[in-house]
Amino acid sequence: MQLFMKVTNSLLEGLGVTFKIFCLTLLMALPLGLLISLGAMSKYKIIRYPIRTLIWVIRGTPLMLQLIIFGLGPGLLGIMGMNMFVAVIIAFVLNYACYFAEIFRGGIESIPRGQYEAGAVLGFTKTQTFFRIVLMQVVKRIIPPMGNEFLTLVKDTSLANTIMIYEITWNAKRMMNSEHILWPLFYSGLFYLLLCGIITVIFSYIEKKLDYYHG
Amino acid sequence: MVELRAENIYKSFGKLSVLKGISLSVKEGEVVAMLGPSGSGKSTFLRCLNKLERVDGGTITLDNDFIVKDGKYPAEKELRPTLKRIGMVFQNFNLFPQKTVLQNIIEAPRVVKKESREEATEYARKLLKDVGLSEKEDYYPCQLSGGQQQRAAIARALAMRPEIMLFDEPTSALDPELTGEVLASMRSLAEKNMTMIVVTHEIGFAKGVADRVVFMDNGVIVEDGTPQQVLDNPQNERTKQFLNKVLK
Repeated sequence: MQLFMKVTNSLLEGLGVTFKIFCLTLLMALPLGLLISLGAMSKYKIIRYPIRTLIWVIRGTPLMLQLIIFGLGPGLLGIMGMNMFVAVIIAFVLNYACYFAEIFRGGIESIPRGQYEAGAVLGFTKTQTFFRIVLMQVVKRIIPPMGNEFLTLVKDTSLANTIMIYEITWNAKRMMNSEHILWPLFYSGLFYLLLCGIITVIFSYIEKKLDYYHG
Repeated sequence: MVELRAENIYKSFGKLSVLKGISLSVKEGEVVAMLGPSGSGKSTFLRCLNKLERVDGGTITLDNDFIVKDGKYPAEKELRPTLKRIGMVFQNFNLFPQKTVLQNIIEAPRVVKKESREEATEYARKLLKDVGLSEKEDYYPCQLSGGQQQRAAIARALAMRPEIMLFDEPTSALDPELTGEVLASMRSLAEKNMTMIVVTHEIGFAKGVADRVVFMDNGVIVEDGTPQQVLDNPQNERTKQFLNKVLK
C-alpha cells in the first residue's frame, strides 16, 4: 500500500507536467495553426510554397526526432543553457500547428463559395466574411478531426520523456527501475485513459451544442 | 435617379468566351427579365454587374460611379459604396446556416451600416412581414422550405436598402409548387418600383411583371424589347426556337 501511494504520487507529479505540455501546446498551436493554414492557402507563391514545405517536413518526420533536434540541437551548435521544457513546447507547438493547419484548411475549403459571395454582396469585407460568417461553420466541421488530434496529443506528450522531461511516462519508468516492478507502466496507462475520457466527453458535448443547424 | 449601364462587356473563362461585347442599360424602376438557354452567359453577365466575376473588358457604371472602366477596377475602398447600392439574390439562397432568419437579415446592417440592433431588427421585421415570414424569424434556414429560404434571402438583401436588385435564377432550385410564393414577393417588390434585373426561366414572370425582356444567346444579346415584342413577336430565329421549346 505504501508502494502504491508512492507510485501514485510520482505519477500525479508527472500528470501535472503532462497537463502543462498539453495546455501550452493547444494554447499556441491552435492560433499558429490557423495562421499556417491561411499561409498554405495564400495566393502568393512566395508565402504558399515555404509554408507547404514546412508542413511537409514537420508532418513527414517523427515527432520524437523533432523533440531531439530541438532539445539537443542548440547544445550541439554550442548554444548552452537551452531549457529542455521550452524545447519540448517549441517542438510540440510547431508539430501540432502543422496538423491543425491542415484540418483548418480542409474545413475552410469545404465551405461553399456561395457563403463568401453572399457576404460580399451584403457589403462585408473579406475579413468580416471570414470571421463573422465562415469561421463558425468551419468550427462545426472540424470538431471531429480536432477531437482526434487532441487525443493524440495527450498520448504524444509521453514522447517528451526522451529528452528528460518528467511527465507521466518518465515517472512510471523511474518507479519501474528504482522499485524493480513492472506495474507502474500499466498504471500510467490509466492516467492517459482518464485524460482522454474527459476530452471525449467535452468534444461530444460541443458536437451536440453545434448540432442545432445543418449545412 | 438610378441608372445602371454596362457597355461592351467581355468575359472569358480560360479559352471559353462567355460574354462577347454585351451592352445593357437599366433605368430606375425598370424590371428587366433576362432569358436565354443555359450557357448563354446571362448569369455570368449578372455576376459581372456587382463584381462577383471580373470582366476582361468593358465599362459598367452606376449613375456617375464606375464599377469598372475599360476593364480596370477602381480601388476596393472606392468601389465599396457603389456596390453597396446593389443587392443580390442567388439561385441557392446562400443563407448563413448557423444564424436564424432574423440574424441573417440584421447581420449586414449591423456590421456594414453600423445600425443599432433595435433599428436593424425593426426594419428586418417589416421586411419579413412583406415576404410573409413573420412567424419564422427565429427559425434556422435548415428548418425552412426552399421557398421560405429564398424569401428570407430576399429580405436579407433588402435590409441593406439597395437601389437595384439582381436576381440570379431565384426559382431554379425550387420545387415547382414553391416558385409561386417567391415570384409573388418579387412581384410586390416590382410594384414598389424597385429596379430589378432578373435572370430567369419563368416566362410567365417575364410576361406579367417585367417591363423589358432581354434574350441572350451564346454571349450576346439577340433581342431586347417589351415582353410583347420579345415573347409574342420575336424577330430573331434563335429566340423563336427557344420560346417554342419552352412554351411547349
